[in-house]
Amino acid sequence: MRSRFLLGFALLLNSRLTRAEPESSPGPDSKSRALPVAAALLPGAIAHGAGHLALGETATAKNLLLMESLGLGLFLSGGATIVLTGASRYLVAPAATVTMAGFGLFSTSYLADIYGTLSRDGGAALSRYRAPARWETELGYRRVQDPEFAYRDFLVQRVSRQIGAFRLTPSGWFSFRGDTARYRLETQYRLAGDVTSPRPRDASFVDLTLGFVHQRHRPEHFSKSSAELSVDARYDLGRLGPTLRGAFVELGAGYALGRIDYDLRGLTVPHDLEHLLLGRIGFGVILRGQSAPGSEALVYYDHRHDDYAAGLKLTGIGSGVVGHFGSSLRWFFSESIGVAVDAQVGSAYLGGASLLFRSQARAGSGR
Amino acid sequence: MRNWTHFAIFGLAALSCLSPAEDRVELDREVGRAERGGVSFEVLDGLATVRSLSDAALVLWGSAPGFELRVTSAEARDYELEVQNCLPDAELRPLAGRVEVTALGPSETPTRQRWQLRLPAGEARVGLAAPDAADRAPFRFALLSDVQEAIVDVADVFDKINEQPELRFLLGAGDLTQRGTREQLERFQSELLRLKVPYFTTLGNHELGTNPDLFHEYFGRGSFHFRFHDVAFTLLDDASASLDPTAYDWLDGWLADAAGDVHVVAMHIPPIDPIGVRNGSWASRNEAAKLLARLAQGRVDLTLYGHVHSYYSFDNAGIPAFISGGGGAIPERFDRIGRHFMLFTASPIDGITSQRVIKVD
Repeated sequence: MRSRFLLGFALLLNSRLTRAEPESSPGPDSKSRALPVAAALLPGAIAHGAGHLALGETATAKNLLLMESLGLGLFLSGGATIVLTGASRYLVAPAATVTMAGFGLFSTSYLADIYGTLSRDGGAALSRYRAPARWETELGYRRVQDPEFAYRDFLVQRVSRQIGAFRLTPSGWFSFRGDTARYRLETQYRLAGDVTSPRPRDASFVDLTLGFVHQRHRPEHFSKSSAELSVDARYDLGRLGPTLRGAFVELGAGYALGRIDYDLRGLTVPHDLEHLLLGRIGFGVILRGQSAPGSEALVYYDHRHDDYAAGLKLTGIGSGVVGHFGSSLRWFFSESIGVAVDAQVGSAYLGGASLLFRSQARAGSGR
Repeated sequence: MRNWTHFAIFGLAALSCLSPAEDRVELDREVGRAERGGVSFEVLDGLATVRSLSDAALVLWGSAPGFELRVTSAEARDYELEVQNCLPDAELRPLAGRVEVTALGPSETPTRQRWQLRLPAGEARVGLAAPDAADRAPFRFALLSDVQEAIVDVADVFDKINEQPELRFLLGAGDLTQRGTREQLERFQSELLRLKVPYFTTLGNHELGTNPDLFHEYFGRGSFHFRFHDVAFTLLDDASASLDPTAYDWLDGWLADAAGDVHVVAMHIPPIDPIGVRNGSWASRNEAAKLLARLAQGRVDLTLYGHVHSYYSFDNAGIPAFISGGGGAIPERFDRIGRHFMLFTASPIDGITSQRVIKVD
């Protein structure tokens, strides 16, 4: 945890240095992109920031290299702690969190380097930032392909209400067959980040999330209820360099306590408790072009093992430990209407799309 | 941006496999079958694997205290049968057909026995079993898992196991080796020569490290079911942190077979890790609950696991559960357990009447 604070401090220092640079310096758009992109892809796979170095963005390249180094350091130190202590019950949660954070910084610094060398209109992203809508609703369909369960088709509903720094989000997944459903009530409090201006200048935020989940699996004779607490943050990579405007990193960590109830006819079966380490890493971009403000794309890793995607099943030794990967896209056609597309790979393949409806971005009190 | 999204989706899909144990289920189906020179052999329920077959000799590795062997020969002929990993007092008896069985004398290794078979033309069946196999008296068995890289010191563990009186067999919940290579599996089997009782085991995730097929060649099925003294034992291959859908079908049959009887179920990875934040458990917590509901419905009496290199005693779905991963692999630190194995007393009438942790060091 201390390492994460150090990392945050280091990135903050670098971001301030970067912001102090004159914005009138010649933009990278005037330079050829072929070499920087190639450098970001190949040597950049080892030395993150190589693409920006080739682009002449030395300060950003250094920031990305620092991000990679810190990520690698955290990943190795956390991983070594897990291996050498035999995943000790006393150390595994912080060690796994550090490992995930390290993986997040390592992988996203690589993606950021590629993004920065490809992106020609990062500055345009500034006009696409949007404060959370006061109201947002979602209605959609998801397909879940899981060989262990018969359910396949889901109706997905979500409503989100922003009141000041608070957001309340009830949501539900309902199997067409009626054999399973998952309800989630999420409350978030924005600890840091702009929720008052309709057009924020920075996408960064830190949220405290309290969530409650209930899901039932009637044919399999069990239901689950859980409560969770997590800290979820988004860091605007524009702070690290002008070429990274429009990109962001997400990191989240938390804990969930769940209860499994068994419903077996003629039998009284005691409930089980389950503990979950929550973690989330994402790399995203603010969409420009034809999309309306608030549109974005994200690839992410989610350490959850208790939802429909759950953890990855692998053919080798490591099956079970890792959570699932996913990508999502939110594309708004106008200020009010958009679509969300989501794909996840874990124990199941999951994908689908939703229609999104939202009100105006809040201004002032939000009332 | 669209290209990026496609790239991400295809990349993620390539990472995982929804049914990683599918091939192993197919291998399970083939265990115990062999044919050569007009003679075919089939171990019923795959409870032994064919280690070698020539024109005159068959070598089997037992996965259970007893099993039946069906032989079909075009003509009458003699065959030598060696069963490795069997109970020291196991006997081979003709069950059907005019087959003659002659014991070839005591072996230097207590868990290996040989017989001469005079096979008739046509089909014959023989059965391997201990003389007391069908008794309903209490008996003792042990559990040892997660040896992995500690194979060099496993002799200490086996010596301690050999000290236990009246022990009938050792159960294994996987991770015998570090990477499941041929050399490591050979080494494990050669170390087992030291043991005075047979070792009936399923595989763990570490057996999948190099070639997931090799375990079946050496130790037989990953998922199987047998009875001893009228107590049912089911071992499940959950080495991929999941059960294959076909294994659920088998499990349903085995739960039905053991309905009303004392039933012990063992597998490598616990469906739910008591230290849940560690994720030393199944990939999907929902699937874990699905399995536990099924075991509870089948009124299983005891669940045994490995994978976590420590010792835990807990309940899952109301069923007593033990994690015992004390074979010597990198131990869980600060738990004050170290290398160990577990000892159980089972009775078909009274259930699991005792369990004890035996520390090795």
